[in-house]
Amino acid sequence: MPENTYDAIVVGSGISGGWAAKELTEKGLKVLLLERGHDLKHITDYAESNKPVWDYPHRGGRTQKMIEDYPVLKRDYPLNERNLHFWAKDSECPYTEKKRFDWFRGYHVGGRSLMWGRQSYRWSDIDFEANGKEGIAVDWPIRYKDIEPWYTKVEKFAGISGSKENLPQLPDSHFLPPMDLNIVEQDVASRLRKHYNDKRRLIIGRTAHTTASIPGRQLCQYRDMCSNGCPFGGYFSTQSSTLPAAQATGNLTLRPFSIVTEVIYDKDAKKAKGVKVLDAETNQTYEFYSKIVFLCASSFNSTWVLMNSATDIWPDGLGSSSGELGHNIMDHHFRCGASGDIEGYEDKYYFGFRPTGFYIPRFRNLFGEKRDYLRGFGYQGAASRQNWSRDIAEMNIGGDFKNMLTQPGPWRIGATAFAEMLPYHDNVMTLDKSKKDKWGLPVLAFDVELKENEQKMRVDMMNDMKEMLEVSGVRNVSTYDSGYAPGMGIHEMGTARMGRDPKTSVLNGNNQVWDCKNLFVTDGACMTSASCVNPSLTYMAMTARAADFAVGELKKQNL
Amino acid sequence: MNRRELLRMIAIATGGVVIGGEFLLSGCKNPDSGPDLVFSPDDLAFLDEVAETILPKTDTPGAKDAHVGGFMITMVNDCYTAKDQQEFHSGLKKIDEACRKMHDTGFMKATPQQRQSLLISLDKEAGAYRTKKNQFDSEQVKREKEEHEKGNTGYKREEMTNHYFSMIKQLTIFGFFTSKEGRQGALRYLPVPGKFTGVIDYQKGDKLFAGLT
Repeated sequence: MPENTYDAIVVGSGISGGWAAKELTEKGLKVLLLERGHDLKHITDYAESNKPVWDYPHRGGRTQKMIEDYPVLKRDYPLNERNLHFWAKDSECPYTEKKRFDWFRGYHVGGRSLMWGRQSYRWSDIDFEANGKEGIAVDWPIRYKDIEPWYTKVEKFAGISGSKENLPQLPDSHFLPPMDLNIVEQDVASRLRKHYNDKRRLIIGRTAHTTASIPGRQLCQYRDMCSNGCPFGGYFSTQSSTLPAAQATGNLTLRPFSIVTEVIYDKDAKKAKGVKVLDAETNQTYEFYSKIVFLCASSFNSTWVLMNSATDIWPDGLGSSSGELGHNIMDHHFRCGASGDIEGYEDKYYFGFRPTGFYIPRFRNLFGEKRDYLRGFGYQGAASRQNWSRDIAEMNIGGDFKNMLTQPGPWRIGATAFAEMLPYHDNVMTLDKSKKDKWGLPVLAFDVELKENEQKMRVDMMNDMKEMLEVSGVRNVSTYDSGYAPGMGIHEMGTARMGRDPKTSVLNGNNQVWDCKNLFVTDGACMTSASCVNPSLTYMAMTARAADFAVGELKKQNL
Repeated sequence: MNRRELLRMIAIATGGVVIGGEFLLSGCKNPDSGPDLVFSPDDLAFLDEVAETILPKTDTPGAKDAHVGGFMITMVNDCYTAKDQQEFHSGLKKIDEACRKMHDTGFMKATPQQRQSLLISLDKEAGAYRTKKNQFDSEQVKREKEEHEKGNTGYKREEMTNHYFSMIKQLTIFGFFTSKEGRQGALRYLPVPGKFTGVIDYQKGDKLFAGLT
């Protein structure tokens, strides 16, 4: 095989790309894995993973200089002193905001699999059927039964901790043991179950952590240092999991600093021939060739590559013939909920730092209920005893005050809703050729907003939590809406959606680009709707399924 | 549950007076420190003594052991807005003046008891001020929203200045409990818990667990 030719090219090394590389190499394909950013080696390159807070001059906070340098990152938690080096630099890769859009990216090997929230939930048929039943956008071309075995497969390898609940709206995974709920969470869970006649449940967050042993990884140590990279491999990431598996086959070539600028399209064969790469360090361009290409560069960057490809045939890019490429942007809207005080548990505490909280699965618009909006939301929250940062009104200076602060304070409990956003054709991204990034490449422009359905839902998102806390004996309950801008959920998706008809979708039911059958898109871009659960587990399953299909088609010589 | 949401929730729980979490969440804006806003070695010694009065050494380390004065200077220089920097600097003089008024002596020469009674009264003053500020600020948020809805998009809300003593106290507590001496000497420091147990017994006096973060 010539030096620049492979069986498969995978673009992007995050959660989806890591899975594509693992599955394709394990099936015997020679794979080139392209990553636009630098290499970041498991354990040895986690420079901050054992660094205590006092070794940071601002104890993890942010300085004026950081705020000036990072006009986008500053909008939420990514701008911090701890893992700033894991986030893409605003100045190097700008974008255009027709309306405010927060885009938080990780440009390095592993992508955002290093910083993700690790919450892992299956979709159900309630999610897959919703578009079709309600006449929203287009119907999903697949159903739960199509993806169920792939969920099981990826869960066995990734390791998802959680409790079996038998809920129709949130199917159980193949679980590692659940983490504990604390005493307040346990009691609130049983009060909710009773009060709502088992229609609402508070369960432990389903989380991609090793609560039991998995080959090649150590157990989660409950340090709550996850976002700095875990030297124990305590959570699923490309580095801890899929990359070593792919490398073990001997079939993988990983090439960092490789910005894929377009898919090379052969118009006679109507297939992808390979990709063009701009070396991010040297600015040299290269071509690599393969039988199949997997785009896993994150929703918007995969779509950006498509928009830049085969423009001599389709001015708006490869996969644009339906007019849907770049449209239907979705995220999860959140940042509202409720919290309060609870008494009677002063003689209980907990040990260790749990890297998850509780989860309250969706209960709205299910089982015959109908609200004045479509779809629903789940809650992520926690109960905990307050620490030294609490206010103690009656005692404010001196030795006794200090000693009070060294002890756990009263219990608080609260939760934030994460909600489904509908796919709207006019929530769209386009190429902005008037602006260039550090490498002279055109940037993306976003025009995205929440609409009436989401705004109506936000009222319930606050009030439902208030009610649930109050019926559970929580006092001084207050609601909040801290405001949300699209993108803040860091669950962007939908810009190359799957469907049943090439006239209304970009991908078919096997993640193949309708206009180019040996080109697959398996990251968030493929999503036809958003559900309200965190999406990464679904990207893993979708990628494994598409990889299996692609290799089958290769064997049958259909590609 | 992400760390970000946890921090946000804690901040909301305590009505935005959370110490530390506030910095981590909102950070600091537009500081522009002029030459008159430089801390002298005397200022450092002064801040150490103020911090030590707030969190004194007992059977566990105090603020001075944890070098809180120096930490405050770093935070004010690097993270504070110009307005907050001004207020913080003038606060040092105000503390000294208030001490002369109350005890006929400057803060550095005052006894620990005199210092304590002074700071207790300043803390009360700062608390009353914060109540007023919270009310004013939230009215302004409402006003801004109304003006924007009316189409007056140029309207920018005002904010009352932070009280210097609130800033000193917040930085003292944040600095102490995120320091090596504070974590290891005054709390139960657990860098690698190795397990999570949801329910354990607690007896009054047992210390908080604290980790690396």
